[in-house]
Amino acid sequence: MQKEAEFIRIIKENEGVIFKITTMYTDNRDDQKDLYQDVVYQLWKSFGSFRAESKISTWMYRIALNTALTRLRKSKRIGNPVSIDKVILQQTENYDSEFEERLRLMYAHIKQLNVLEKGLMLLLLEGKKYEEIAEITGLSPSNVGTRISRIKQKLKQQIVNQ
Amino acid sequence: MEIEEMKALWSEMSDQLEQQKKLTSEIIMSMTQERYTNKFRTLSNYERVGAVICFGIAIHIIVNFEKLDTWYLQACGVFTLSVLFILPILVLNSLKKIRNLNITNTNYKETLLNYSKAKRNLLRLQQFGIFLSFILMFAVSGVFAKIWSNKDFFRVERNIWANLSIVFAVFFVVFCSYWGYRSYNRITRSAENILKELE
Repeated sequence: MQKEAEFIRIIKENEGVIFKITTMYTDNRDDQKDLYQDVVYQLWKSFGSFRAESKISTWMYRIALNTALTRLRKSKRIGNPVSIDKVILQQTENYDSEFEERLRLMYAHIKQLNVLEKGLMLLLLEGKKYEEIAEITGLSPSNVGTRISRIKQKLKQQIVNQ
Repeated sequence: MEIEEMKALWSEMSDQLEQQKKLTSEIIMSMTQERYTNKFRTLSNYERVGAVICFGIAIHIIVNFEKLDTWYLQACGVFTLSVLFILPILVLNSLKKIRNLNITNTNYKETLLNYSKAKRNLLRLQQFGIFLSFILMFAVSGVFAKIWSNKDFFRVERNIWANLSIVFAVFFVVFCSYWGYRSYNRITRSAENILKELE
């Protein structure tokens, strides 16, 4: 019961993170819900073996990204238009269609990156330091830096090509 | 959109998501149940049904093998049996490898490597299967014409409609093979690019 309560607390604290990852790796609402459930399931499955050697957020990002990655198995649709109806979780009283449009544009840019770059970009936007990105991805911090510079160039190129 | 603008937008989205939390303890725990739908599992089930059908047909050929009375029909029979037995086993094995990838104790790079390798193997196998299906079409026609109608498919005189239907079948298989090969080739190449980048 203690374990279950702790798990629920962690998921509730981080549901936004799971939402952002699942939105990044899917093209429609149904797939996103499916992936969301899969991520929570995988987190629960490995929660018992989690040792506090790394931060809980590092463990969570790693499992969530790995789950998202292996869900690309059926169809790989890099570069397809973003078809998620509402990028943010739910409509609120202060629903801002312009903000939503900018989010959609941002996701459209990110989804043109390859699968490794997409994961790096997500962690960068989440405000992670290169060392933590390295720990989650298994790349060296200098390699993370090089790849992120390349991603920035790619994004600039995308804007030029628009 | 510049990276700094993206960061600001991302941060604003994160703040909004923080305010919109909606998961309850019940929803979270129900997500942890094994009843979730895994698309890959569905794919494996299709392959399993396919394998059972292949094995059924293979058994039917074995039971009637003595009806194949020439060396080339026997060769067709052996070839068909080999494909029907070996290919489904190899495909199911590849699918099992992908399904059993360990994602809880590996980092993103390792998972990406393992997944790309497993996927490349599966796709290559499926590409191979597409080419085999072309030869299999003739072998199966020979085997079943003999078993079911006691006719030698390769020597029997055919009318114009029979010949036309063979030509149509050949075009159909060529088209499917080409289309399938191109799709698999594209996906395999993208898996290989990722492997090259990581290794």
